[in-house]
Amino acid sequence: MFTLILPELIVILTAFLILGVDLFVSEKNRVVLAPLTLVGLGAATAAIFFQMPEAGALFGGRFAVDSVTWWFKFLFILSTGITIALSLDMLDGRKVLENAQTPRLRFRGEYYTILLFTLSGMMFLVSARDLITLYVSLELATIPLFVLASWKRDGNAGEAGLKYVIMGALASALLLYGFSLLYGLTGQTDLHAISQGLTPSPLLWLAVALIVSGIGFKMTIVPFHFWAAEVYQGAPTPITAYLSVASKGAGLALMFQLFFRVFGGFFKDWQIAIAVFAALTMTLGNLGAIVQNNIKRFMAFSAISQAGYMIMGFLGPQKESIASMIFYMWVYVITNLAVFGVIIFHSNQTGKEEITDYRGLAQTNPLMALGMMLGLFGLAGIPPLSGFVGKFFLFSIASATGFHWLVAVAAVNSTISLYYYLRIVRQMYIEPPAAGAKALEVSPVLGFTVTTTVLASVALGVFPFFYNIVNAQTSGWMSLFVK
Amino acid sequence: MGENLVSFLEKTPDVSHWLVLSSLLFSIGLYGLLTRRNAVGILMSVELLLNSGALNFILFNRFISPGNIDGQVMSIFVIAIAAAEVVVGMAIFVALFQQRKTVDVTQMNMMKG
Repeated sequence: MFTLILPELIVILTAFLILGVDLFVSEKNRVVLAPLTLVGLGAATAAIFFQMPEAGALFGGRFAVDSVTWWFKFLFILSTGITIALSLDMLDGRKVLENAQTPRLRFRGEYYTILLFTLSGMMFLVSARDLITLYVSLELATIPLFVLASWKRDGNAGEAGLKYVIMGALASALLLYGFSLLYGLTGQTDLHAISQGLTPSPLLWLAVALIVSGIGFKMTIVPFHFWAAEVYQGAPTPITAYLSVASKGAGLALMFQLFFRVFGGFFKDWQIAIAVFAALTMTLGNLGAIVQNNIKRFMAFSAISQAGYMIMGFLGPQKESIASMIFYMWVYVITNLAVFGVIIFHSNQTGKEEITDYRGLAQTNPLMALGMMLGLFGLAGIPPLSGFVGKFFLFSIASATGFHWLVAVAAVNSTISLYYYLRIVRQMYIEPPAAGAKALEVSPVLGFTVTTTVLASVALGVFPFFYNIVNAQTSGWMSLFVK
Repeated sequence: MGENLVSFLEKTPDVSHWLVLSSLLFSIGLYGLLTRRNAVGILMSVELLLNSGALNFILFNRFISPGNIDGQVMSIFVIAIAAAEVVVGMAIFVALFQQRKTVDVTQMNMMKG
């Protein structure tokens, strides 16, 4: 039974270990902290695979493990590990070019610790089976992100942090008020008991509206997406990557918890609302991305539109919807991190973040440009890359449920998204490099990370075994909640 | 309308009175969050919002399920979370103030799309 909570325990112990070691070693020896963190993450992953066929509950049913939680937790750990790999050059000051503009990130020990705390919050969030646990773990996942987003000590980071704190606190307050109404309607805090006790009433719809706005903030669903562009721009780039993948994964996990587990009985009622949100999110996200010039803002709007595709999986009570959403989340996380790897490599070396700064990258750094192109095509969903496969599954769910208009909207949006992803490819491959541009030196860790993530993103689309495993394990999950 | 209000106020307090109080708190907090220019004032409004949620949990505990203490436990956790949120918020505002010499939210427009 104890092994059920082992991954979380390992992550939390690693966090405190890093904090302690950081206290006692000199600045020069703090290089050791990153490998230590990665060892901890590896151990947590091993613990997840060790528990894999086992499912069960702890603490009187307030903490539970099942087939869906394994894949979410593994995803969170993996994205944290890749984020750490992406941050290494900025934290350890392994600058290759002398004239690099980006200032070094300071306070390595605290950085890893806080990253691990938010990871543990996300892992508890997937396993929570009680309103109290759910809310506390959600805040544990969110509050450290405020700190990380304003890590750099410049005006932009502070502005990003201010906006993030205010919007995040508002979202969490709305969610809390919605939770309190759910508690008032049923007198229960256990999620299963709440779903049994709910009956349709105006108060229930108020509670759902409040909860949706709280989740919409986490998932960056239009119209709750306003914070994203500014926060993504002001945060350190590895944290931007982390926000766009892990934080969004936590939002999806929260939607799984609430929409399936609690509101599963009212599936027919919220289905149409999800369809409208999905259409709005992908359209406005795409239209926003077209006009951006800063690459991080661009990725923010791209991430918003991806959230629109992702929630299409909530439309149908198909056997495959769970597996499709988890699979698309995996594909999105790995592909997005590959793209961010190249962005971090470029901004580390040049200190520039405009899209036009990528001109001629294919001539100076052909391999990095190739990785970026494959990543962007994966996000746009060009076959045979994994983004296409993931989108295909999601579209087929919407279509099987009868939302043909949404499939048409999504297809048009995919075309729009191809246009703006191609803007960057055009800069890299068609525009000539700036006069006197030299090849940028690739640091080993970034080269390795980009290579593995790009290969993984291609492999996920070509080889079906990963989807098959997830599908086999999760196909019966949804029928527990949605009738 | 006026007579309804008077009779409502003269009744002994029950769940509806408390709900009115908590929704008033929530509305004041939301109004403050949208209108205050100083970021510290906004944090205070956030406190009101969170406290109205905590108050809801306590009063539902008292009137809906008096047998258990789940709502009270939740309200204690909410207080702790609100404290954590404010600590992080204030730290960020102090760091921002050192850079910009202001925490007026209408001045926060350095990043443009």
